[in-house]
Amino acid sequence: MKRQGFDRALRGVGIRDYQLILPSVVCSTRIASRIANEVGSKTFAHQHGCGIIGNDVEGISDFFCDLAKHPNVGTVLIVGLGCETIQGNELAAKVKESNPTTSYLVIQESGGVAGTFNDGITAAKLLKSTYPPHLKNLDELVVGVEFSNSNSEIESLIAELKASGIKFEIADQNKNPGLNFSELMRRGVHLIVSFTEPNQPPSGFPLIPTINIASDSALHSALAKEFDLPNGSTSSAILNFILDVADGKETKSELSKAGEIIAPRVVRSV
Amino acid sequence: MSKSLTGYPRADGRVGFRNQVLVMPLHSALCATARRISEESAAVAITHDWSGEIDADFARIFKVMTGFAANPNIFATIFLTLGTPGELEIIDKSKSIGLSNSTIVNVSEIGSMELLYEIALKEAISYLALADQVARVSVPWSSLHLGLECGGSDALSGITANPALGVASDMLVELGAVSVLGETTEILGAEHLLAARALDPNVGKQIIETVARYERSINYEGIDMRGAQPSRGNIEGGLTTLEEKSLGAAKKAGSAPFTGVLEYADPAPKPGLYFMDTPGHDIEQLTGFAAAGINIVVFTSGRGTPTGSAVVPTIKVSTNTQMALSIPDLIDLNAGTIADGTQTLREVGELIFNEIVDVANGKLTAAELGRHQEFSLSRMYGTQIN
Repeated sequence: MKRQGFDRALRGVGIRDYQLILPSVVCSTRIASRIANEVGSKTFAHQHGCGIIGNDVEGISDFFCDLAKHPNVGTVLIVGLGCETIQGNELAAKVKESNPTTSYLVIQESGGVAGTFNDGITAAKLLKSTYPPHLKNLDELVVGVEFSNSNSEIESLIAELKASGIKFEIADQNKNPGLNFSELMRRGVHLIVSFTEPNQPPSGFPLIPTINIASDSALHSALAKEFDLPNGSTSSAILNFILDVADGKETKSELSKAGEIIAPRVVRSV
Repeated sequence: MSKSLTGYPRADGRVGFRNQVLVMPLHSALCATARRISEESAAVAITHDWSGEIDADFARIFKVMTGFAANPNIFATIFLTLGTPGELEIIDKSKSIGLSNSTIVNVSEIGSMELLYEIALKEAISYLALADQVARVSVPWSSLHLGLECGGSDALSGITANPALGVASDMLVELGAVSVLGETTEILGAEHLLAARALDPNVGKQIIETVARYERSINYEGIDMRGAQPSRGNIEGGLTTLEEKSLGAAKKAGSAPFTGVLEYADPAPKPGLYFMDTPGHDIEQLTGFAAAGINIVVFTSGRGTPTGSAVVPTIKVSTNTQMALSIPDLIDLNAGTIADGTQTLREVGELIFNEIVDVANGKLTAAELGRHQEFSLSRMYGTQIN
């Protein structure tokens, strides 16, 4: 059976159709959130975009571009302040190279909070109506696998994915699961399977469905209801769940909206 | 100066000018729940990206989280927690700083994110009702801890809003309040002028050393700070050099002598004017101020910014009339009238003083009306201090 997804032209095919309201700086996160709530789009709070220096300037800018480029993202509305290090218009020009369905707004040029909010709603709706989603066959599902320490359950899933011809990417280098999620986002995975660290709660990435699998830790036992799959799930059960999520089933973290987007940084702010 | 202050005295002797109910998630995975509660009630909330890492940045994060949760403008803090030892330590420390009303909602004990939301929302509504019943009382000037901030500066910052804020700061210091200048990177080039105003020669040396230490930490990375300061927004606003920006930024501190130097997020021990080592990053500075127990901030801007704090009223002062008129819902007061020639520096300084007192007494700022509750955890990200 051919699986259907959302056609993103050169960016591939997505399994979700999210509009991203992307704040280019911490100062515009609140307005971005208000716009996103109003039009039913995705956004995230962050503390970057200004007062950054050295490799962080290009690093954060590239990270934002990668978010906008992800195939689960349809159209993008960038909301900037105006005087920040990462300028909204320049970020928009850079994002448009990979995602042409991008527009931008600047608070300092839009009459303030109310003006930007109103303009933002209009712009977000216009993007949605101008670029409605088109379905396309999803020829290759890419699964991200995140864990801190390998075990037989993980090895068994990887063998199952290989046997099923499903492409996968592994992130296991970061102690922080949020950074693992960000790394997998950059590799373009459609969904993430998280073998959640025993001392971490189930979590997610706002643009990528995340399947949390419990360990046998006390924390995970206490939060059993918040995991998609219990400790000791068989690889075939996980694979079936992956395919259901690829077909539209919402994960627990999608429903609870748990999880923030964590951007990698290398230098302190100035 | 016939004005007087009213506020909410706390058990530890500090005073709040707001009676906020704060929902404080102690793990990034709980932030969405905190935001949801603040959207459904008058409680305030923060969002952050800390997931319990105990690394080189933990001491800095611990100080900010604990100080912030115990800011005197808070009536009660509701902690959302997984119940890990690190999180429980944050709660205990917040209480020892002076937080008197708090509730711990432990998701590990409840077992469900939805129940976490429902229980914490109910707690918030109940605290909000109690907070509403508390009456303001007359409080001394020493209870006012003012934070001085500027962001999105332009060519007029150093001749209108910043020196006018300096007039207001001097008036408050004279009355016995605390006033704190931050933004280490934005006094670079002007530090010798501030050091010369130190009450004690050691304080002067500390000001010089604090700036040098910051610059060394950036140079260590092989980066010239002058590549980011003045920022592109500053240059578009007419500023030419870091020194010009610094000379203007330093004017926020008026002409009072410096009583001491504070590390990031440390509280002032007694009345007077202080310098705190903070980044110029607006929200890292604002968060550090709040964690230090500062209860009012004045934020001057040439380009305009909507940002505010969940727990500290943040008064925006425009440096120029054009911006104040073009984005009015971001700005509380216009100091551009000094450049227009319609008001004197002294007159605008007194207006800022009056606005500080009015806001302390309950007048809501533009940022509060817009429910701006930005928050940042200031991290070193491996940057070495030597």
